[in-house]
Amino acid sequence: MSDAPAPTPPPPRGPVRLVTAACVMALLGIAFSLAHFIGATPLLFTLFMIAGQGSFGLAVFLYAVAILKDLKRQKVL
Amino acid sequence: MTQEGLFSGSTENVMRWVAGAGIVLGLASAAIMIFVLVRKPEWRVTAAAKWALLVGLLVLPAMTMLSGNVVGFHKVKNSCTQCHTMDPWVADLKDPKSTTLASKHYQNRWIPDDQCYTCHTGYGLSGNVKAKISGLSHVTHEYFTGVPKEIKIHSPFPVDTCLHCHGESAKYLKIEQHVDAEMKPKILTGELSCFECHAAPHPRKKP
Repeated sequence: MSDAPAPTPPPPRGPVRLVTAACVMALLGIAFSLAHFIGATPLLFTLFMIAGQGSFGLAVFLYAVAILKDLKRQKVL
Repeated sequence: MTQEGLFSGSTENVMRWVAGAGIVLGLASAAIMIFVLVRKPEWRVTAAAKWALLVGLLVLPAMTMLSGNVVGFHKVKNSCTQCHTMDPWVADLKDPKSTTLASKHYQNRWIPDDQCYTCHTGYGLSGNVKAKISGLSHVTHEYFTGVPKEIKIHSPFPVDTCLHCHGESAKYLKIEQHVDAEMKPKILTGELSCFECHAAPHPRKKP
């Protein structure tokens, strides 16, 4: 009987891609926030409100979907 | 900067601290996400990555966005004077010879801060929401679609804005016309504008 641990299966691509996309979107949101903090103009504030917070909202959504998919894959849900 | 300046409780100083905190939190969040992104793709769904992202993707960015809103909504209240379109009206506000109501309110500091925002925003949540939507359209005009040649107020100036401060004041109630049985309802319903009797709020034409 071999003591070698069973090789762990690689994670499916779906959640990995979702997490990557979530990180990119959140980074975009952070970039808009930083731009708005540094150069506070009405245009940058508007971009922060729409594009920045929109990107962050999308990032949270993508991350939540990734977590749900992962939980389903592990048969927790 | 003196210590007193650094730790003074003035709104401007508090906003500087909030903005500074927002920048630090934003950079920390970006560092965590970049750290996650440069690792192997498989690592991004491990338990360690999930904990890192809980902080880096949810908590820190949420706090950054919150600080952004606090700072933004504070600064945007003064942004009317940033667009050259408003220069003539701003000049009138500051003109010592001006007799308009807006300039009197501004120069006598009857409204100490955020004068444009105070008078041109309705009260309550809906007033703030409407102000944000109209602010968005102003930004669109200024940067993308162009400013109309003739600028006029979007809708009649609400009498509630004047009455919010003046309505219950002794000076206001002393004026016969304000409490007159026939005129009072007309004033309260907005049928009779304050500017029918009082000076114009701003110059009638472009100053």
